[in-house]
Amino acid sequence: MDPYSFSSSAAMAQQTWELENNIVTMETPQSSESDAIFYYDESAQSKFQQEKPWSNDPHYFKRVKVSALALLKMVVHARSGGTIEVMGLMQGKTDGDAIIVMDAFALPVEGTETRVNAQADAYEYMVDYSQTNKQAGRLENVVGWYHSHPGYGCWLSGIDVSTQMLNQQFQEPFLAVVIDPTRTVSAGKVEIGAFRTYPEGYKPPDEPVSEYQTIPLNKIEDFGVHCKQYYSLDITYFKSSLDCHLLDLLWNKYWVNTLSSSPLLGNGDYVAGQISDLAEKLEQAEGQLSHSRFGPLIAPTQRKKEEESQLAKITRDSAKITVEQVHGLMSQVIKDILFNSAHQSNKSQPESSGPEPMVQS
Amino acid sequence: MMIGQVGSGRVSLGLVKTPHRRQKISTSISIPENSIGGEHNNSDLAALKDSSTTTQMASSSSGLTFKLHPLVIVNISDHHTRVKSQSQPPTANGGGDAATASSNSPPLSSPRVFGCVIGVQRGRTVEIFNSFELLYDPSTHSLDRSFLEKKQELYKKVFPNFYILGWYSTGADAEESDMHIHKALMDINESPVYVLLNPSINHAQKDLPVTIYESELHVIDGIPQLIFVRSSYTIETVEAERISVDHVAHLKPSDGGSAATQLAAHLTGIHSAIKMLNSRIRVLHHYLNAMQKGEIPYENSLLRQVSSLLRRLPAIESEKFRDDFLMEYNDTLLISYLAMFTDCSSTMNDLVDKINVAYDRHSRRGGRTAFI
Repeated sequence: MDPYSFSSSAAMAQQTWELENNIVTMETPQSSESDAIFYYDESAQSKFQQEKPWSNDPHYFKRVKVSALALLKMVVHARSGGTIEVMGLMQGKTDGDAIIVMDAFALPVEGTETRVNAQADAYEYMVDYSQTNKQAGRLENVVGWYHSHPGYGCWLSGIDVSTQMLNQQFQEPFLAVVIDPTRTVSAGKVEIGAFRTYPEGYKPPDEPVSEYQTIPLNKIEDFGVHCKQYYSLDITYFKSSLDCHLLDLLWNKYWVNTLSSSPLLGNGDYVAGQISDLAEKLEQAEGQLSHSRFGPLIAPTQRKKEEESQLAKITRDSAKITVEQVHGLMSQVIKDILFNSAHQSNKSQPESSGPEPMVQS
Repeated sequence: MMIGQVGSGRVSLGLVKTPHRRQKISTSISIPENSIGGEHNNSDLAALKDSSTTTQMASSSSGLTFKLHPLVIVNISDHHTRVKSQSQPPTANGGGDAATASSNSPPLSSPRVFGCVIGVQRGRTVEIFNSFELLYDPSTHSLDRSFLEKKQELYKKVFPNFYILGWYSTGADAEESDMHIHKALMDINESPVYVLLNPSINHAQKDLPVTIYESELHVIDGIPQLIFVRSSYTIETVEAERISVDHVAHLKPSDGGSAATQLAAHLTGIHSAIKMLNSRIRVLHHYLNAMQKGEIPYENSLLRQVSSLLRRLPAIESEKFRDDFLMEYNDTLLISYLAMFTDCSSTMNDLVDKINVAYDRHSRRGGRTAFI
C-alpha cells in the first residue's frame, strides 16, 4: 500500500473542494511551466510599478497567492513567538490584481497585544536582509508585512490599520497578513488573513462581513471601530513541482507525526481562555436581554436584531470550540483503541478498557 | 592538525579495507577528478565516485540523532526552483518551448545551490530548524565567508537560540569538492553536517531524496582523512508546522468550511496515517510469516526488535492515565453539553421573541378592532 492510494481515495473530496474554493493547482508534474511563477521578470515588474494601476481603484488588488515556503516560514515564526506578537516582511511581486508572496523573513521586533510596530533598527535590519537576499538570488522586493495575533483572530487593529495605511501611501503595492498561531493549532487548519486598507475618507460599499470570527471581549471594540477601514483578500497557495514531489514523499516519514499529535494537550490554556471569554460575553448578553424584556416596545426592531445576532454569535463561538475539542478527543480515543486495547497474552484477564471509558467511571 | 579540528566526540578510527581504494581516497580529496583518471580506467573512476568520499558506511557511528524540520526541505527546494527558473526565463509567448527545452536536458539546467542550516544541538540530539542561502565563491572553491557572517549576524537577531549546524546543497551525490567546503566550515561548527537534496524528480522513488552526511576521521594508510558518512534522520515538526505542511500538501480547506467538511478532513488525516501504520505492520507480519515457514533464514536481532516493539503494547496502562483520559473525555462532554445549552437558550430566545412579536401584533390588532 503506497501513500498514493489513499491520496487517490481522497482525491474525489479534494477535487470537489478545489472546485468549490477555486484552488489553482500548480501541480502539473514535470513541466517547468508550472514553475514559471518562480521567475522574476524585473522589467515587467518595474513597468507595473510605474503604471500604478492601483492608484485609481482602492479595491484594485483582490487576490493573494502565497508560496508554500512563505506560508511555512510565517506560521513557524508566528508560533515561535508563543503568546508574544512577532512580525516580519514578505517578498514577492504582482500579477494583475494578485499579489504573489514568494518568501518571508522575520524581523527582530516583538510587540505586545495588538501593537506591532517596526522600529528604526528594524528598518536597518530590513535593508540589510533584502540586500543579502538579492545577492543570493532572491530578486523580489518587499510586498508586505505579516504579524501574529496569538489567540484572538485574524483582523487588523487600530495601530495595524494606521501602519498599513502609511505603508500603502509610500510603498505600494503593500499587503498586510495576520496569522493566528494559537488558533491554527487549535483548529487544525491555518488561520490566516490578508488585508489592505482603504485610503482615508474612502467610504467602502456596504459589503457583507467576509468571514465570521471569534474575537475576545477585550478586543471587540478595537475590531469594531476599525473593521470598515480595510478589506480582506482571497488567499490561494502554490508550490513548485519539486515541492509537490517532496511533500508527497514527506508523507512517508510524516504520518507518525499526524498520529502522535495531540491538540488537546498543547492548547489547554487557549480553550480555557475561550470558555471564560464566552462566559463573560454571555453575562453581557444576558444583561442586555433582561433590559429589553422590561421595555420591549422601545425601539424594538432595531435592538432586537442586534441582540439576536449577539446570542447567535455566542452560539457559533461555542459550537466552534466544541467541534475543535471533540476532534481532539476523537483522535485521542482512536489512539487509545489502537495502542492500548492490545494486551499481552500472559495477562489473561481481558479488561473492558478502551472503547468505552465512560462506563468505568 | 586535522585531529585538532574535529570534535573529539566524533572521531572514529576505522580502516577501509581494500588497499586499492585507500590510495584513491587520499589522492582524490584535493585533486580534481579528471586528473586522477589518467592512470585508472573508467570503471575505476565510477567505483571511486561511489565509494570514496561518501557512502563507505551505511551509517555513522557518532551516535547523534538528527531531526530535520520540513521547513528546511521546502526552503532548499524553493532555492533550487528559484535559481533554476531564473536561469531559464520562460519566454512570454512561447512558454511551451522553454518547457520542452528544459525537459530535454534537466540535469544540465539545474545549477547547484548552497546554503547554511541552523538549529539547536541538545546533548546527542541535533535538530535542524531552518536554513538560509549562501553564495559560492568560485575563486576559493568555497562559500563566500563574509556573506555567511553577515547572514549569521542577521539570523542571530531573530532566532537567538539557533546556531549554525552545517550546510546544504543540491545534487545526486556528495562530490569530491564538497569536502573542501565542509572543512572550511569547521571553525564555525567543529563538526558540521551536510544536508544534500537530490532535486531530480523520480516517481518510482518512495523515500525522501534528502541525505544528511557527517564527516568522520579515518586513518587511511597512516594518514588521517576526513570522509563523509551517511547518517539517519527523522522528520520532526512542531504542531503549527505540521498543520501548515498538511495545508499546503493536501490543500485542506483554509476558510472554515462547514463542521462536516472539517470533520471529514480531520478523520481523513487520521485514516491515512492509520493506513500507513497498517501497511508497515503488514510488511512486518509478512516477513515474520515467511520466517516461520522457513522461506527466510531466522534473523535474531530483527526478531528481537519486533518482539520489543510488541512488548510496548499497550502503550500506556496505568491508573493515572485512565484517570486523566477519563477527565479529558468528561471535560469534552461537558463542553459539548454547555454548547448545546447555549444553542438551546439562543433558540429559545428566538422563539420567545417571535411569540412576543406575534402576540404584540395580535393584541394590537385586537385592541384596535375593539376600539373601532
